[in-house]
Amino acid sequence: MNHQDKPSSHAHEVHITSYKDHASTFLGLVLLTIMTVTVSVFGADLYTLTVLTALAIASTKAIVVALNFMHLKHDPKIFRAMIGIVLLLFIVFAVLTLVDYMIRP
Amino acid sequence: MSTLTSSPDLSFYQVAKGIRSWIFTLDHKRIALLYFYSISTFFLVGVVLGLLLRLELIAPGKTIVEPHTYNQLFTLHGVIMIFLFIIPVIPAIFGNFFLPIMLGTDDVSFPRVNLLSWYLYILGGILALLTLVVGDGPPDTGWTFYAPYSVKTGTNVSIAVLAAFILGFSSILTGLNFIVTIHRLRYPGMSFFQMPLFAWALYATAWIQVLATPIIGITLLMIFVERVFGVGLFDPSIGGDPILYQHLFWIYSHPAVYIMALPAMGIISEIIPTFSHRTIFGYKAIAFSSLAIAFVGYFVWGHHMFTSGMSGPARIIFSILTFLVAIPSAVKVFNWVATMYKGSIDLQPPMLYAMAFIFQFLIGGLTGLVVGALATDIHLHDTHFVVGHFHYVMFGGAGFAFFGGIHYWFPKIWGRMYNVRWANIAFTLLFIGFNTLYFPMLILGIMGMPRRYYDYLPEFQPLNVISTVGSWILFIGLIIMIVNLINGYRKGAIAGRNPWGGVTLEWQTKSPPPLQNFDKAPELSEHGPYDFK
Amino acid sequence: METTFVLPNSGHNRDDMSSKMGMWLFLFTELLLFGGLFLVYMIYRFVYHDDFLEASLNLQVLFGAVNTIVLLTSSMTVAMSITAMQKGNAQLSKRLIWLTILSAGIFLVIKFFEWSAKFEHGLFPGMAHYGELANGERLFFFLYFFMTGLHALHVIIGAIFLLYVIKSIQKQKVRQDKYMLLENAGLYWHLVDLIWIYLFPLFYLIH
Repeated sequence: MNHQDKPSSHAHEVHITSYKDHASTFLGLVLLTIMTVTVSVFGADLYTLTVLTALAIASTKAIVVALNFMHLKHDPKIFRAMIGIVLLLFIVFAVLTLVDYMIRP
Repeated sequence: MSTLTSSPDLSFYQVAKGIRSWIFTLDHKRIALLYFYSISTFFLVGVVLGLLLRLELIAPGKTIVEPHTYNQLFTLHGVIMIFLFIIPVIPAIFGNFFLPIMLGTDDVSFPRVNLLSWYLYILGGILALLTLVVGDGPPDTGWTFYAPYSVKTGTNVSIAVLAAFILGFSSILTGLNFIVTIHRLRYPGMSFFQMPLFAWALYATAWIQVLATPIIGITLLMIFVERVFGVGLFDPSIGGDPILYQHLFWIYSHPAVYIMALPAMGIISEIIPTFSHRTIFGYKAIAFSSLAIAFVGYFVWGHHMFTSGMSGPARIIFSILTFLVAIPSAVKVFNWVATMYKGSIDLQPPMLYAMAFIFQFLIGGLTGLVVGALATDIHLHDTHFVVGHFHYVMFGGAGFAFFGGIHYWFPKIWGRMYNVRWANIAFTLLFIGFNTLYFPMLILGIMGMPRRYYDYLPEFQPLNVISTVGSWILFIGLIIMIVNLINGYRKGAIAGRNPWGGVTLEWQTKSPPPLQNFDKAPELSEHGPYDFK
Repeated sequence: METTFVLPNSGHNRDDMSSKMGMWLFLFTELLLFGGLFLVYMIYRFVYHDDFLEASLNLQVLFGAVNTIVLLTSSMTVAMSITAMQKGNAQLSKRLIWLTILSAGIFLVIKFFEWSAKFEHGLFPGMAHYGELANGERLFFFLYFFMTGLHALHVIIGAIFLLYVIKSIQKQKVRQDKYMLLENAGLYWHLVDLIWIYLFPLFYLIH
């Protein structure tokens, strides 16, 4: 007997994101894109601040995609916990490596 | 094609026969054995390479090979032993065979992905051996493939890094499978803190496999691309930095040593309670120390690069973190010894290997601190001290844990017992041989003998002779061990369900287990997984 | 032949949560794969800041921005295709997936034009003009082609995955009560989008 066809054993209500919500998310992302382009094309050359602003906006877009399109907002918390660990790991890799280069004579 | 249901009177071997039922199997136990036979084969190739290296080093100057060939020998020895043996060996064999059984379930979460892991392993292994026979022969860069030499050399680096990339994928898929299995398939009533410690070890390891391996994947891809295009990211002539390669390489390769060590420690945490007839001392401490080792182990990679040209502050940070990671390992050692204290010790072969592990891992770990300290590392980096250090942890530690695991779970897997007396003889020779082989290296390193050098000063010869003789004793011990196990497999006494008096779930089922792992519902104790009444 | 008892936690039972968890773990490996390249980018941009700025002027923000919108749209359509499937509308679901694949195609076409322009200017590693650039600029372009190339490969893989899902819907293997495959393909697609969300500002918006 093929067990693969039966519905999943966990009984919680499946949350369905409406088309409207997806469209709103999309609009928000487009706005953020326009914002980041504008800041870069018309903003002052603030070197580090430019990088940080660009990364901040990109990260905001990423979080929006992850929470809404990828459904993390409504998924069990374990997924957000795992992602958190992965991000933490990557940040530490980046920081430790950068430390080496920032302090080289 | 494995059937989903079959009589529990049949062992998993009996449900289907013929080679197709093996290489297309979805049964985690058969996949484990496929790994066992293929990994053992590669291990023996690696052993032969090691013996050749020691033969060359028995005397200064040329003994049996040219310098270039010597470089290729130690490179291939490293590549095989690391990527084809010590990284996969315990998770792919004992993890695959026993994780589902220890959790009280009948398979891993993704059986087809499991089989794919093995296919990738075989493909990677074939590519690695291919480097022996095509073109300019195996790489001569050392298993670390440092740029810029790895980009320039005419030897088969491209094939080798491709092999490593594929093997990395195999490792990732195994880890992925185990994480989901542990989260989703535990028997009802078995919380995370009622899993055996071997499962905890595999869990921590799996996270390293999944998160660290991709970094070396992309790094080796960078080397591959640089070789193909003739220009690349580590090329000083376009402003690239070879040290950046080292950062990326070790961001994986240091956590990789915990992929090797953690499962081994997991086996020791199983063997010691069983052969002390006592519950493990400090279950939670050992469980959390596995996670702590995995976590802190991500952040110490710079200790491989102390003499490469990193900035001073970076070196200090990495040295401090390196000392931190020793702490959870020490916790485990204390807890194992505390378990044995006032236990009813049964000196069976698995226990001998476990005790040897503690002794040898201790030496390996302490020598690790010696090289982890900046000042001493300046003197000892790239000497034979390092070679001794890592063989003590990887071989004397993880390797011996593997042998211990074989002797522990042998009756469960094959339903027979091996000859204990010959097992003890083999162990004795292995122990003596191992320490004779590697302890001199620690002294040689302090005396100043470099590693990866084909030749050496005459004053180093006496210890080198001792070391080489040690390799022969070790090899004889290995042969005796293998012959004894094969004999046990063919005509050993039939083993019952629980020859050792173990209390984890695998000892409740038949030996060998049926296809579905259990012939009756597993019984959990309310006192945890190590309930020795 | 029959079993005398059945394990309640059998690994052979369908478990959508396992499937999703497995997919997320795989996404982590992809994140770290690209992460290694982002690390290299970060270091070299730190060391060669001015050269990176100079080199990025060769990229047209308009193309990058349009491609960003294209991928964001494709993320929306694939997310909507899951909504459609959850509501039992397999036809709409398939159409939305086709839109996603179409968007992937548009992305690749724009990329093709961008790359062709670079080739014409001899900016690919190994070409004449490339050799004349400053060190930091050469590293910039090497990273540009490597990272957008690897990303484009993932766009293609994602599109193939989505084609496979369409076939599965047609064969009723993906349906209203069993659509984990579609969700997982969607997750993979969103990852492709996420990577581009970072590639765009880092390569096109340096000034």
